[in-house]
Amino acid sequence: MSANEGNEDRWAVAHVHASFNNTIISVTDLTGAETLAKSSGGTVVKQNRDEASPYAAMQMAETVAEEVLAQGIEGVHVKLRGPGGNLQKSPGPGAQATVRALARAGLEIGRIEDVTPIPHDGTRAPKSSGF
Amino acid sequence: MRVAVTGTPGTGKTTATRRLEADSEGALDVVHLNDVVREAGFSTGTDEARDSLVADLDAVEGWLDERDAGDVELLESHLAHLLPADRVVVLRCHPDELGDRLTERGESEASVAENRESEALDVVLAEAVERHGLDSVYEVDATERSPEAVAAAIEAVVAGEREPSAGTVSFVDSLADHP
Ligand SMILES: Nc1ncnc2c1ncn2[C@@H]1O[C@H](COP(=O)(O)OP(=O)(O)O)[C@@H](O)[C@H]1O
Ligand SMILES: [Mg+2]
Repeated sequence: MSANEGNEDRWAVAHVHASFNNTIISVTDLTGAETLAKSSGGTVVKQNRDEASPYAAMQMAETVAEEVLAQGIEGVHVKLRGPGGNLQKSPGPGAQATVRALARAGLEIGRIEDVTPIPHDGTRAPKSSGF
Repeated sequence: MRVAVTGTPGTGKTTATRRLEADSEGALDVVHLNDVVREAGFSTGTDEARDSLVADLDAVEGWLDERDAGDVELLESHLAHLLPADRVVVLRCHPDELGDRLTERGESEASVAENRESEALDVVLAEAVERHGLDSVYEVDATERSPEAVAAAIEAVVAGEREPSAGTVSFVDSLADHP
């Protein structure tokens, strides 16, 4: 948490979608209604199989961070979604790399939330089962 | 040999494996794990928000160890990849079609949305690869495939006639309108 966080106007939400094959980063205002910047792995690497790489995620994070810093944003809360968001050895390691890159690019990082969806149909797995 | 048949709810696991079960005239040992969890009470509690039992996977594993399994044991459930298995079939279905199927099945709007997002983000596939490795995972795209075709694909995995695969589909674009 940061001292600047009181100034709501200057804070946004970075949504990191980390799938098996790709990472998508978008930054919205705090309500989620307006998208301020967006990038997907396909735009920064040539090979499909690299779209979920930490390298791609870092490149995207840098670009997105520059765009929102230019719009006066100083910090972001981060919402991670997807298997890349919480698993250390996961095949979508983009999420952790993204957060570090956003910070390195000069954005303050507020709350980091893992909001990975849970498949369910009357039964569901316990959290972090099998790992 | 134990084969797990997993995939996000709505991908067609129960439909396809019931068909295999019927066609094999009892030769195939299919375990519908969701029924087992419910009937044997293998849960550690209830997720009220999702109206779902939280499965007790240790209890399920113990129960599986005790039972008298057939030569080929098919574990069918979106939890099946979280248990020990020799091969893991992951059924996939485009989130738009998955959403239609689940809505038709009578699932709540919130449940449809979360399962759609799970499928778009490859949650089950990634867990299956994480737990079992790329050599044991067989991804099967069930989008616009008949239950017979899906059943045949599962049969091919059981028979050793299919190569392992993962990441052959990408549904992440369906997230585009949902930041
Ligand atoms: N191959 C298929 N094509 C079209 N609809 C299907 C197919 N397989 C299943 N369905 C329908 O989709 C819904 C979900 O199928 P089900 O077998 O219950 O999925 P799961 O067990 O994976 O949750 C059911 O209403 C079923 O009739
Ligand atoms: Mg089912």
